[in-house]
Amino acid sequence: MDKTLVAELARRAGLDKALAEFPEDVAAAAAQAANVAAKIKAPADPRAEPWPAMRAGEGL
Amino acid sequence: MNADADATQGRLHWTSVSEASHAIAAGDLSPVELMQAHLDRIERLDPRLNAFIQLDGDAALAAARVAEAEASAGRLRGPLHGIPVGIKDIIDVAGLPTTCHSRVLQDNLAESDAVCVSKLRQAGAIVVGKLSTHEFAIGGPSFDLPWPPARNPWNPDHHPGGSSSGSGSGVAAGLFPMALGTDTGGSVRNPASCCGIVGLKPTYGLVSRRGVFPLSFTLDHIGPMTRTVEDNALMLDCIAGHDPLDPGSAAVPRGHYAAALDRGARGLRVGFVRHFHEIDMPADPEVTAALEHVMRTLQMAGADVRDIHLPTLGEFAAVNRVILQSEAWSIHAPWLRERPGDYGKLARRRLMPGAFLGAGDYVLANKRRAEMIAGVNAALADVDVLLCASSMDPACRIDNSSDVERTYPRQARTPFNVTGHPALAMMSGLSSGGLPLSVQFVGRYFDEAMLFRVARAWEQASGVDRKHPPIG
Repeated sequence: MDKTLVAELARRAGLDKALAEFPEDVAAAAAQAANVAAKIKAPADPRAEPWPAMRAGEGL
Repeated sequence: MNADADATQGRLHWTSVSEASHAIAAGDLSPVELMQAHLDRIERLDPRLNAFIQLDGDAALAAARVAEAEASAGRLRGPLHGIPVGIKDIIDVAGLPTTCHSRVLQDNLAESDAVCVSKLRQAGAIVVGKLSTHEFAIGGPSFDLPWPPARNPWNPDHHPGGSSSGSGSGVAAGLFPMALGTDTGGSVRNPASCCGIVGLKPTYGLVSRRGVFPLSFTLDHIGPMTRTVEDNALMLDCIAGHDPLDPGSAAVPRGHYAAALDRGARGLRVGFVRHFHEIDMPADPEVTAALEHVMRTLQMAGADVRDIHLPTLGEFAAVNRVILQSEAWSIHAPWLRERPGDYGKLARRRLMPGAFLGAGDYVLANKRRAEMIAGVNAALADVDVLLCASSMDPACRIDNSSDVERTYPRQARTPFNVTGHPALAMMSGLSSGGLPLSVQFVGRYFDEAMLFRVARAWEQASGVDRKHPPIG
């Protein structure tokens, strides 16, 4: 993620203060988010239900 | 070991919960003597271990006097009557601060007990104080917070694991025989692994989360930390149960967790998840050798062991992180916006990623989570229990931030936060450097009794419950 985009997303999230005081931490957080999100495989069927399935009263 | 012998040898601090429970009930052990032995040890060792954020010694001793009077009159509150317990400092204890080891909540006084603390008190346990954690149960060992990080009693230069650091350090060091920890990505099992004790992450929903500061609503678990498997089962017996005011609480009958404890490993079907430590994250050779030793020991005791394949650790970890950081952001966003400087650097870096994850990322992670749950359930249809690594390395030095950063993610605990299956970590042996190595057992939903059975079989064959750190 480039610096401008990180700054834009951080401001959108209300992190102006963190961006001013801890820019390296904000950049590290953005890099970490991009890294983990990219590692998840999408299920083959886009209609797959997310957890938790709606099973009222059954718990897991 | 028995309580009488330990008392005469001045080793009362190594008395197990079960031994103390029986001795107090029989009138052979005084709760005051037991508490005083632990308080003396805390006074002597805690300045080196930093397990406590706040010791509540006077109140604990006063409660022990009451417990002693009650026991003398034949009135026992429950199986934990008069036994000291330490509480991780993200769990509310009435009248004590819940700081979450953070400047953000430095003055946050709890008005009432968390449900799990209340249940321990009903069983007769006495709270000795609040214990160190990683900041908000996520930061890591940090030196920029109002309190220092806890240290490992096997070698105080080393990390005790976290985030339930004070719980692991204090139980292993004999500062108290049992503690409560919390586990969102492995935070009960990591200190259990680093400190050589028994740590259980129960099935999601088995123990109420009410009164515990949340990190991630759908991944958070509260678990018992003890020096023996029997003590762990005893503690779970006291804290498990449905709570209609916890939206994640499961409405299932509570088990009798010690019921199968001594049935041994004969006839058990064990699935060995080798790829976690052989392929996904190649473990330290001593960790691998110890896991093979556990596997062979169970085989020799009559278990049928076969290899099992699950999704890769990398993908489990990514799903855990996306869910955890998204949910944690929803909790911490107001403080991170207004007072980012009140967090330590590690927590700030680990809590802000949620600001950069989208709704699509969160939903996708939860779709993959459903598939992972199905995968683990399918594996557990063919075996009774899974055997796998917990930590891939012995505990690293606490003052080497790059080593902490390198070894922290090298673990196989997050999969079972993602899926919610019960998982127990315990000692598998000692490294050549004298630090604990670990093994993890994973069971079917709400089948903690099976975990305790296999863990006890290993404990009895190996004697790991009799290994204590050389500190004192």
